[in-house]
Amino acid sequence: MPSIRIHPHASPAAINPAASLSPNLSHPLTNPLPQLLQTPSGLAFLELQGTINLPSNESDDGSYNKESYSPKGNTFETPVGKLMFPDYSALNPDDTKWMKRAYLYVGRYQRMTGEVKKLPRPIAVLQRRESSGAPPNAEVEELEVLEIVRYKILFKNRPEPVNDV
Amino acid sequence: MATQDSRGILFTNTQPQQGFRLLELPPELDTLLSAKDAPSLELKSPSAALAQAVPDPSAQEYVNLCTTDKTYRIRQVQSSNSIHVLRPSLGRISRADIKVVEEEAGESGALNLPDDAVSAIAKCGSTLELHIPDGGFSAVPFLERSLQLYDRRDGDDDIMMDDNQATGDMDLIEVQRLRDQVCADIPVSAAQCEDGWVDICAFVCASAGWRPSARMRFNVWKRMAEGSVLQGIDLEKQFLVGDLWKSVLDDGDDSEAPFPRALLEALVRKLCTADERPPLADEIKWASFDKVECSRWVGETYLAAMAPTASSAIGRSDFLRSWKDSLPESWRGEASLSKLQDGAYQSPDPTTIFFVEPSQRQHTAKASAGAAAAKAKPTRNWHELLKSQKRN
Repeated sequence: MPSIRIHPHASPAAINPAASLSPNLSHPLTNPLPQLLQTPSGLAFLELQGTINLPSNESDDGSYNKESYSPKGNTFETPVGKLMFPDYSALNPDDTKWMKRAYLYVGRYQRMTGEVKKLPRPIAVLQRRESSGAPPNAEVEELEVLEIVRYKILFKNRPEPVNDV
Repeated sequence: MATQDSRGILFTNTQPQQGFRLLELPPELDTLLSAKDAPSLELKSPSAALAQAVPDPSAQEYVNLCTTDKTYRIRQVQSSNSIHVLRPSLGRISRADIKVVEEEAGESGALNLPDDAVSAIAKCGSTLELHIPDGGFSAVPFLERSLQLYDRRDGDDDIMMDDNQATGDMDLIEVQRLRDQVCADIPVSAAQCEDGWVDICAFVCASAGWRPSARMRFNVWKRMAEGSVLQGIDLEKQFLVGDLWKSVLDDGDDSEAPFPRALLEALVRKLCTADERPPLADEIKWASFDKVECSRWVGETYLAAMAPTASSAIGRSDFLRSWKDSLPESWRGEASLSKLQDGAYQSPDPTTIFFVEPSQRQHTAKASAGAAAAKAKPTRNWHELLKSQKRN
């Protein structure tokens, strides 16, 4: 079996498809997450107990469908909820006490309490490299490291009821 | 309440989702990949034929991650939680949809859309973890399966002899290409492949890769030792490999070469002091041997040739005498059982001795280490018991 190469750095297009995809977006995407969670590619981790239930016409298994997915194809976003880091202040990013608390509101009356945690070991996000230019040889599969992520937002508890936000 | 002042970030889910794999990085890989000039890594799995080289049946289907000099076994670990990979939103949310969330959010924490949104673009239910099993990785069992055995008895008609002249012309690049071909199917790093290659004195001849039998290696050594005496070559001091080759040829007649020159060079490469050993891609021109290392190798190789199993055990004194006789005059003192590597031999009774393969050695060492560990930890503390179970 031939070996599969893993490229250490992703091609720029793979990191930020938005650049090629939305020409009307003149500025680079701003990352609303606390600075600690920001990565050059913008990728971050959110760990959740359970699944996000989406309307039934959307597949929920998170499986990668090669036919349907293409970075230039049509994607759409379904709002799920709202993330909050109640103790975070952009003015004082070095203070890490805010990491102890994060909220995820889903719907009006449910809230999950979580925290931001440093991963015990950093995790590399791998993706199949889109072969550009190379002959479309199905045999040659290559991977690339999109990002190395060091923190995650962790919601390990069940949602709790809240009466008002 | 603090929540009232903080900003909310709209959290959306993108469809269709992307396919990602999450790979947990040990510190040394993190350092390697974080560097600006990070090298490529490789995923290697053994070919079907080679998979059986490792006796452990549970380890026949696997993928190894290889850097240039390290190998890790990949293990897929399912987690009960799922990790969603987030990215700043591309703003492809319909305004109507936003309204739903926005209304729910109330008048506080007004959302500044679409900038203040992140979207889940992938969901991963498992991570890939890396580990190095006890004893590490070796290319030797795989090389032994993929290379042909070279074991010529004196007087045998040797198919390779006809090609000998041709192989002399086989250039280094071609040899390298053949070696790369062999190593491509071996699921360990390139550096470990090279180490294994050198260790078993593998060589390329007549467009094929060969591994000499223990007897063949010992015979080549004897020719080398005799030749060096005749030609006055001091093996402990730097010598020209070409001179050594000439010394093993009978009367300098090239056509009468007793074995391929590549085999002699493979042996010289294995035996020469580590700091003088050139990379496999380069020709070995100069070498000098270390008396202690080299003598030990000769002893073990002789034992492996003559007494590879318990049933073929030979007499100890005979072994020591033959070993001594095969060494240069000034090295004879090196021939004693205490100079052999730990576990390299066993004695069924006090007068006989046989060779233990390195792979078997690790086994026994591991078993005894495991027993020692079990003895040392007669813990009844259930915290610790559970902890050690989790690790496994």
